[in-house]
Amino acid sequence: MAFVQRYLIPRLLQYMLVIFLGVTAVFVIPRLTPTDPVLQTIAQLRSQGSYLDPATMDQLIQDLTELYGLEGSMWDQYIALWKRLFRGDFGVSFFQFPTPVSVLIGRALPWTVGLLLTTTVISWVFGNIIGGLAGYFSRKRWAQALDVVAMLIRPLPYYIFAFTLLLLLGYVVRLFPIAGGAGLGRKPEWTWVYIRDVLRHAFLPALSLTILGGTLWFQTMKLIVQNVNAESFVQYAKLGGVKESIIVSKYVIRNAMLPQVTALGLALGQIFSGALITEIVFSYPGLGTLLYNAVITGDYNLIMGITLLSIVAITTAILALDLLYPLFDPRVRYR
Amino acid sequence: MRGKSMLLIASLLAALSLLVACGPTPTMTPVEVTRIVQGTPIVVTATPVPVPKEKAPDVLGVFPRSETLIAAQLTGRVGAPDDFNEWVGWKWRDRGMQQLMNEPLWSIDFATGQIINGLADGDPIYNEDFTQVTIPLRKGVTWSDGEPFTAADVVFTAETLMKYEGFNAHSFFVENVKRVYAPDDYTVVFELNQPNSRFHTTFLDRWGSTWIMPKHIFEKVDDPVKFQFNPPVGTGPYKLHSYDPAGYWTAWEKREDWDKSPTGILFGEPKPKYIVFQAFATEGAKILAQLIHQLDAVDLSADGLKAALAQGETNRAYQLTFPWVVNNDPCITGITFNTAKPPYDNPEVRWALILAIDIVEYEAQAVDGAGTLSPVHIPSLGPYPEYYIKPMQDWLKEFTLDLGNGETFKPYDPEAPARLAEYVKSRGYAIPDDPAFIAQAFGYGWYKYAPDVAEKLLIKNGFSRDADGKWRLPDGKPWRIEVISRSDMSHLEYKNAAAAVQQWKKFGIDAVHVPSDQVSAVTQYGEYDVSGNWPAFEPWGAGADLYRTLDVFNSAYVKPIGEPTQGHTSRWSSPEMDAVLKRLRETDPTHTEQVIAAGTEGLKILVQNMPGFPTFGYIGFVSWDEYYWTNWPGAENPYTQPYTHWGPFKYMTPFLQPTGR
Repeated sequence: MAFVQRYLIPRLLQYMLVIFLGVTAVFVIPRLTPTDPVLQTIAQLRSQGSYLDPATMDQLIQDLTELYGLEGSMWDQYIALWKRLFRGDFGVSFFQFPTPVSVLIGRALPWTVGLLLTTTVISWVFGNIIGGLAGYFSRKRWAQALDVVAMLIRPLPYYIFAFTLLLLLGYVVRLFPIAGGAGLGRKPEWTWVYIRDVLRHAFLPALSLTILGGTLWFQTMKLIVQNVNAESFVQYAKLGGVKESIIVSKYVIRNAMLPQVTALGLALGQIFSGALITEIVFSYPGLGTLLYNAVITGDYNLIMGITLLSIVAITTAILALDLLYPLFDPRVRYR
Repeated sequence: MRGKSMLLIASLLAALSLLVACGPTPTMTPVEVTRIVQGTPIVVTATPVPVPKEKAPDVLGVFPRSETLIAAQLTGRVGAPDDFNEWVGWKWRDRGMQQLMNEPLWSIDFATGQIINGLADGDPIYNEDFTQVTIPLRKGVTWSDGEPFTAADVVFTAETLMKYEGFNAHSFFVENVKRVYAPDDYTVVFELNQPNSRFHTTFLDRWGSTWIMPKHIFEKVDDPVKFQFNPPVGTGPYKLHSYDPAGYWTAWEKREDWDKSPTGILFGEPKPKYIVFQAFATEGAKILAQLIHQLDAVDLSADGLKAALAQGETNRAYQLTFPWVVNNDPCITGITFNTAKPPYDNPEVRWALILAIDIVEYEAQAVDGAGTLSPVHIPSLGPYPEYYIKPMQDWLKEFTLDLGNGETFKPYDPEAPARLAEYVKSRGYAIPDDPAFIAQAFGYGWYKYAPDVAEKLLIKNGFSRDADGKWRLPDGKPWRIEVISRSDMSHLEYKNAAAAVQQWKKFGIDAVHVPSDQVSAVTQYGEYDVSGNWPAFEPWGAGADLYRTLDVFNSAYVKPIGEPTQGHTSRWSSPEMDAVLKRLRETDPTHTEQVIAAGTEGLKILVQNMPGFPTFGYIGFVSWDEYYWTNWPGAENPYTQPYTHWGPFKYMTPFLQPTGR
């Protein structure tokens, strides 16, 4: 009962407060920018000099303002937003009118989750395992060589690194496609041909994220392990004749894992913000470009839909970590 | 060991760099091509077609590459790929809908200066007071599902657009149309609420128009605003094959009954069996795709075009020699002043700022001399030099500014194009000395570089210089000009703004360039000094009518700062311009002489007032790969407009030639 009162309830309240404040901020901030969604839509309709009679433009502005639900004061719109959100309705996208925001997010989400979940987990697992071993055996030559490789790769700006991969494996060697999520003319279906095609298109984006993400996990884990390895309790265990495999797994890795588990939780929560630069370099579908375009065009409902998803995901990840942490760290449980 | 590892990695990187540098290097051999225009064989210069060493893939995705044409989609990834209802909102119509699936009633072809009858069978016929227009329709056209196209479709379209508020054109049709009816299957009559001699232009495709709905489909739909129209049906020569649910490509297949489309009837069978519009998120990806022959046509930036031409042996630009670019786009670039804000509300100040510009330096900085100068607010291309710019030369030469104290100045400089040509030669580009070429490539004139005259005009209006030679406003405060533009450095709005800032700085004004992604909203609300916005709305690109160019200066559209305007962002108007617009409204747009007389008057008023000043025509950086397809409409053979994103791309498809690879 004490756990519920002193630990669970405060965190649930904090969880709801963060979501409330996040939604409010996402409602207000886009409306403070000079981007007007109605004028953006009209500007796109008039793109390349296509003709819309200016005499009827004012009427069109009025019609669109009404259709987009932008009539009334900010407060009226804010109240209307919460009413919609409680019904689970994100509204329609302004720029892709009348497509519902949920449809747009639902279409982009599998690409983003498929790519980022896979690469985050793979890079975390391999980065931590190799980093842990390289940290424990830091005087070995192979560990030093890996460290040099990581030091060379890590500082590379992601855009440059990703574009280099595209250039090498898409243009010079031509092993992988240079753009898109699937081949031209291929319709989504559960066949090996289509799945293989999707995997082939995802390879370069995934490789770029895995390598750069993996080197980050590798370096942090290596440093943490080196620090833990220098702690007195590890030295005592070694002097006490504890088996090395037990020292590595129970004494060093377990302690070193704690911050990495926290970081993994946050990284998984951030998946829902998308991977904008990856999507741009590889012309890959996902939430990143959807959100970017929504911001540029002042598509308030779409901005709200994607950021709400991200806010909920990150706060849920933090809540889950808070609740699960006692399982990893007995010191938290004893408090 | 660390040193050895470093050496190993450095060697690997060096090897990879070498691989990049040693990318595919094809060779070239000449191949002859021919073409037929509207059934008439025409002799044309053969275009050399290079033959690369490496073999490109036979199949791309599911398409046989040799029968497929791939073009980059200008407006990028489609946000609503399932939705083809282009009458509602923005639906990325350049994904092939306006170019391949749809036929409009009429199309603008700016390269030939012609208006092409698509679904219409001739010009619109207005009654005397322009309250009624009769449109003859083409016989023998069917929709891509086999249903015949008739006047009932046009009537249904107008009535449906008027019935539902959610349609983009709802307001326009409600405001203009009293009644629409079809006296027979191939004639449609619009009765209008008030006289409107340009009503038909809503059906004239200039990168978009009011498209005709297939009545047999939309009449069965409960809510035509929310209807996704998927799969779509059109009267164009292609039908939808497939599309990427993520929005990166849309594929079209030639109709088996292509001869039932206006394109087939007018120009014959389109050559590509499939046409794919593909979106790329970066220019780098576009260039790479073209270098490996996976992209046949693309619009690039200036630097992108240079890179593509340098690397691709089978790449070509619109022009085979300098300046390579598309310089017949019907759009004039330049600078716009916010005339609702002092001191830009004073035409003499605006003129002083123009005379402080050395146009050769300006254009050299902006586009390396590749643009065609125009002294008036329409581009010096297509029909416009003959209709307007050449006949206006005498007036321009005599146009005089009053400098005060009885002193006057004639600002026009017919030698400016020759000076620009000299600059181009100094850059090492070989160009003919032929005056006709100079006029075609660099224009007929611009304005003198006269900083001394600019100074006199400013002093006349109370401006002064401080001890450092910097200009001060009449109230004694330092003069700072903020020139806002888009943030995309390759855009000509950005390039114009940057060049103007440089010139005015040189003249002693504290000018700064403010690139912004919000430029559209900021200028529409009037919260700026000077912008890189086009100085006038783009003309049609065909015919003599300048109504759409001048109408944005209608005083009815002028709004106070803080309210969005749908007129020109300069917020300038005048009773004289209103009178010209009234005259144009009362003139049949097909009466060329009367239209030119009124249009010329409008251009003169703009030159006198310069709410914005024109510089050079819009430049397009088109790159074509001739590996699979040739006979593109380049400058040596401009049988139609060159863009794959414009509607008349459909009229290019019968003339493209497969190379047989």
